[in-house]
Amino acid sequence: MVLDWLPSVLIAATLLLAVVGAVRRISLWRAGQPDQVDLIAGLMAMPKRYLHDLHDVVERDKYMSKTHAATGGGFVLSIALILLVHLAGIDSQILAWALLFALALMFVGAIFVLKRRMDPPSRISKGAWMRLPKSLLAFSSAFIILTLPAAGILPEGTGGWVLTLILSAVILLGLGEMLFGMTWGGPMKHAFAGALHLAFHRRQERFGGGRSTGLKPVDLTQNGQTLDILGVSKPKDFKWNQLLGFDACVQCGKCEAMCPAFAAGQPLNPKKLIQDMVVGLAGGTDAKYAGSPYPGKDVGNAKGGPDQIITNGLVDPETLWSCTTCRACVEECPMMIEHVDAIVDMRRFLTMEKGDTPNKGAEVLDNIIATDNPNGYSPASRVNWAADQNLPLMSDVKQADVLFWVSDGAFDMRSQRILRAFVKLMKAANVDVAILGDEELDSGDVARRLGDDAAFQSLAKRNLEILSQYSFKTIVTTDPHAYHCLRNEYGDFGSDALEGVDVLHHTTFLNQLVQSGALKLEAFSGGTVTYHDPCYLGRYNGEYEAPRELLRSLGIEVAEMERSGFRSRCCGGGGGAPITDIPGERRIADMRMEDVNSTGAELVAVGCQQCTAMLEGVVEPRPEVKDIAEILVDQLIEEVH
Amino acid sequence: MQPEGKRQVQDHSLDRSLDIVSLISIGQHPQSGRVRRAEQDGRAVELGMNLAEKHTVLHAGDPLQQALRSYAGMGLSEVQVLDLGPRADAVPALVEYLQDHRPDIVLTGVRAESGESSGMVPYLLAEKLNWPVVARVADIVSVENGVAELLLALPRGQRRALKVPLPFVATIDNAAPEARQSAYGPGRRAQVESLDAVIEDDQTRSDWVEAKAKPRPKRLKVVKAKTAAERFKAATAKPQGESGKVLKDMPAAEQAREIFDLLLEEKVIS
Amino acid sequence: MSDVLRRDPRAEWIARNRLHPLHGTVSVGDEAEVRGPSGLLRKNPHKVGFIGPNGIKRIDRLKGNGNTVAMGRRSSGPQEVLLPLHSVEQPDFYIVVVPDMVGGRLTSQDKDILGQAHKLARGIEGGNEQQGAVVAVCFGESKEEGFDTAGVDRLILLDSEEYQGFCPEQQLAALVQIEASYQPKHWLFPDSVNGGADLGARLAARLGERPAVQAWQVDHETTVSRGASGSIDISRTTPHILMLVEECADPIDETRHEAQPLALESIPRAIAQLQDQGQVAVDPNAIPLAEAEFILSAGNGIHNWDQFHDTATALGATEGASRVAVDDGFMPRFRQVGATGTWVTARVYLAVGISGAIQHMQGIGQCDKVIAINTDAGCDMVKRAALSAIGDSEEILAELLKLAQEHRAKQSEEGDQHAA
Repeated sequence: MVLDWLPSVLIAATLLLAVVGAVRRISLWRAGQPDQVDLIAGLMAMPKRYLHDLHDVVERDKYMSKTHAATGGGFVLSIALILLVHLAGIDSQILAWALLFALALMFVGAIFVLKRRMDPPSRISKGAWMRLPKSLLAFSSAFIILTLPAAGILPEGTGGWVLTLILSAVILLGLGEMLFGMTWGGPMKHAFAGALHLAFHRRQERFGGGRSTGLKPVDLTQNGQTLDILGVSKPKDFKWNQLLGFDACVQCGKCEAMCPAFAAGQPLNPKKLIQDMVVGLAGGTDAKYAGSPYPGKDVGNAKGGPDQIITNGLVDPETLWSCTTCRACVEECPMMIEHVDAIVDMRRFLTMEKGDTPNKGAEVLDNIIATDNPNGYSPASRVNWAADQNLPLMSDVKQADVLFWVSDGAFDMRSQRILRAFVKLMKAANVDVAILGDEELDSGDVARRLGDDAAFQSLAKRNLEILSQYSFKTIVTTDPHAYHCLRNEYGDFGSDALEGVDVLHHTTFLNQLVQSGALKLEAFSGGTVTYHDPCYLGRYNGEYEAPRELLRSLGIEVAEMERSGFRSRCCGGGGGAPITDIPGERRIADMRMEDVNSTGAELVAVGCQQCTAMLEGVVEPRPEVKDIAEILVDQLIEEVH
Repeated sequence: MQPEGKRQVQDHSLDRSLDIVSLISIGQHPQSGRVRRAEQDGRAVELGMNLAEKHTVLHAGDPLQQALRSYAGMGLSEVQVLDLGPRADAVPALVEYLQDHRPDIVLTGVRAESGESSGMVPYLLAEKLNWPVVARVADIVSVENGVAELLLALPRGQRRALKVPLPFVATIDNAAPEARQSAYGPGRRAQVESLDAVIEDDQTRSDWVEAKAKPRPKRLKVVKAKTAAERFKAATAKPQGESGKVLKDMPAAEQAREIFDLLLEEKVIS
Repeated sequence: MSDVLRRDPRAEWIARNRLHPLHGTVSVGDEAEVRGPSGLLRKNPHKVGFIGPNGIKRIDRLKGNGNTVAMGRRSSGPQEVLLPLHSVEQPDFYIVVVPDMVGGRLTSQDKDILGQAHKLARGIEGGNEQQGAVVAVCFGESKEEGFDTAGVDRLILLDSEEYQGFCPEQQLAALVQIEASYQPKHWLFPDSVNGGADLGARLAARLGERPAVQAWQVDHETTVSRGASGSIDISRTTPHILMLVEECADPIDETRHEAQPLALESIPRAIAQLQDQGQVAVDPNAIPLAEAEFILSAGNGIHNWDQFHDTATALGATEGASRVAVDDGFMPRFRQVGATGTWVTARVYLAVGISGAIQHMQGIGQCDKVIAINTDAGCDMVKRAALSAIGDSEEILAELLKLAQEHRAKQSEEGDQHAA
């Protein structure tokens, strides 16, 4: 055979180019800020994370998970064997047969990928991604033919140099996509960046189901005289592993399909945002982007670079302010990308450096700073709601079993009904409870999501200071946002105020009371009931079961919405979205109420005052909206003493 | 809240070499009593930032006061502070500064949110400098050939146009464009430059007694009845506002008439 | 003097005597008995009796004598009470009040301050055998007729051409002249946005006096004024110049005063640096929602938005909206009223098609008079409202629009007549 050496040379050459590409890509990521990651441990844990955490997400789509297992598995296996058989030239029939098997597996997988791409759903990107199944087929089929002689099926030298030449061309095509493209920005980049992203993920604790915040406190200390630029202004202000994460995107559009802001026609598409971040880290424009745009905005006008300010031409600030921080995209992303944290990082720059929080944002932040609550009420009136509740104050009793964290619902007349219902339930169960009264401050949730981490840190530190003066075993709140802050975000401030303290949401706490028999309830006799999972209770903290169990204990068979549990759709009230109020075509709360209506429910049970307010904001006629505490209190059997 | 207002300044040709001093004081939040950027002074700084290239923000008081940072957060590179003690009179120090620097316009709020809040400082400055003083400015529309065209805020959102020759002192009303958001980072980075100043203690004030504000009694409707019948009527009259009047099953015209009469009675229609 | 019944014995006697030549003149008019066509005597039950002095109908058992009683009730009906005159012949000292005179008339705050001036004068008089006079200094054209009953002992009316319009510098020159000529014990200004606070501060700066601002409890010795944006009370000796808040004292209502013009030497013409360019027409919709006095607010029940805007314009109201109307894109976000929108302080809040979500009700908590137009008589807004119209909002707004336009037309007609 004349051109026998050609395939091997091609393999070696593309491999070399791939390595060069990888080094270049890595240097792009390294333009980001340093972050503490244990590289070795991360790499060691990577296969497990792939097979467990990532696969769990992919497994939600059975078709895709099987296709990916075949294609991806076949590819990884065959590339290893190709190196042995065709590059190293190990002459072994067993290896050749194994390679043939791997390639066949990949080939079959590729057929299914092709089939999926025949009539693709709108969420997946087209463009370069449309050629991927063809490249996969070219790669696998060419190597099958090339391997046949080695496996002894065909004699050596079959087809002569013409075949070898044609084959080499096809191999070049396949290798180009699979190896060269992997590190030079082709669709296969996802495999390379994705694998490393699993290893060096910024929120390591999320693997294995850990709950945490992705928002790390901003360093507000002044080094010498100058304070660093706060938040993320340019792509290189991201941590390097965040940049790596953006590169891992497969543009599957699962995030887009779940994003409430996208569905409402607000100018946000999580997938496009991540792709814009990729444009930013590599430099260039979004002209090649072939997926859905930000609603109402054309593709092709965004340009940026690692050193250019993101909101100057790459991403419109409106896009960043549309996010409700509901984490639906994060939950759905097979590549474990953290969209929400990136958005908040960029908001920090807009708020703390540019002073450009839209609509009522500035006013709310000013109020939070001046009065410790978002609406500017007198801090001395925080406890007014409890005037008739006979609740002991921590400042008087110093200790109690349970500390009830009231949150800013104390100022809102609607939320006060929830608070009263919960107090009544606790009293019925003889819980030793106390409140902080006027000493309590806003949890800082809104300030943090609006990007004002300085205000958040001030509130968190002062809250912890107050908490550390008292002793209690459990802290309970009816507000999932405060719950998330207390449970997951206050830990960053080195206080022992919450050490050994159970932080519970009121549904969890009530469920414990009901299951232990401390609360006697009669069966609920109303109509159909559905349950809306608050994002900060469900996706952020994994509490899906307690509210449902509580409803079951009333004899309620929850008529589940299609989007429920970890796929629950946001009410539109999170992340300061009602404050920044970016216009869309629809309202998120209205869409959520349509979800409710489709179950035929007459009552929506909710576990969050913000959700209650948002859903009750939908024009009547609509199902009734009640907090679980309110439903329970109506069914309470009060014992006569 | 007032997007219409914000644009006006940029629309007009302004003399860019204008030299403006904005006087700022330490505000006080009406609910919490915490120090903050004073509402009207913030608007004065906003107006100054929109109008002039050379804009000095000046405070007479404690240079370490944190509230100064919330002014700086509007994007000021520095805040000048005449370092005065807590009991000192701000006027002599300010007069000295202004006599040295001779700006074109001095902007400040109508009344401070803390201290005596008498609103006298701009008048005293104007008197000492022999400049005109304009109260309750809603906007500075233009400055041309040494004459500024202003809009004064009148009650109920009304405006009066006025021309004033430079230099002058103006107090800024709540109707002026809202102060921009104060950003944390620039606020912390800005320089606070402390200046030496004449310190004259405010003697008069030390004779005063200051106490927490007592709630003022609401004026009752005193019926000065002359006859027994009038006294009886006043005593038995049904208090108003128990529950409203509901007009039901009536022709729309009559309902509208009733509403209109109430509007006339309340004098919101003139 | 007014409502006292006086009997006229002669008239009664004539009424009783049917043969008296004047009988017809006293008893005719309201005859309860008339001859019918058949010659029978007929009684008109409606004309039996008369309305007694206490407003209750009385049957006339005096056979027409009641008429004379009624006739004897002279000067019945509203009659001006002539209050006792408080006269000051040779004032030993003066207290000068500079009222705002908005629209040429004393405002209620002006009247309170005149009352305060008398309280001060009495306080000073009490200590020594002196008598003080309250002087009102009024600038510009005056339409006020009740200077005497408002407590003005002496009046300086400066209405010549240089005092027309906005002229604080000229006004200050006049005040300085008054200070020089009369050395008043105190100067009282209304602490108001209508010019009183400005003028007071100008005078204080010119005279080098330290005024009491936001004063609310004043006697001849001590003054309590608000400081630190109303959060503290400052007590001090009553100063020369005071700027007083509303309702600082009760207005004068039991005495009449001379309101004698007080002579003033010629006042130097001040060099006006502030050149008044006149008032600028302002669209009521440009008034910030939080400051607006009269808001017409739209909710979910509005379907004809053009009509709504027209009505707001015709009524001169600032537009507001409920959250739903804003969310649906009919109104801009800064028009939203409520806990999540703007907290309004309007005196009159006219809510059309707003049923009243709790957040909305929180936002209008400070409104004085709420008027509701709604189809649902049971909604929260109707419960809150002082006046509610239940019916189709479009029809009622149409009628309201018509009324407003008629009213405007009438007004401009009157205005023309005045001009002519």
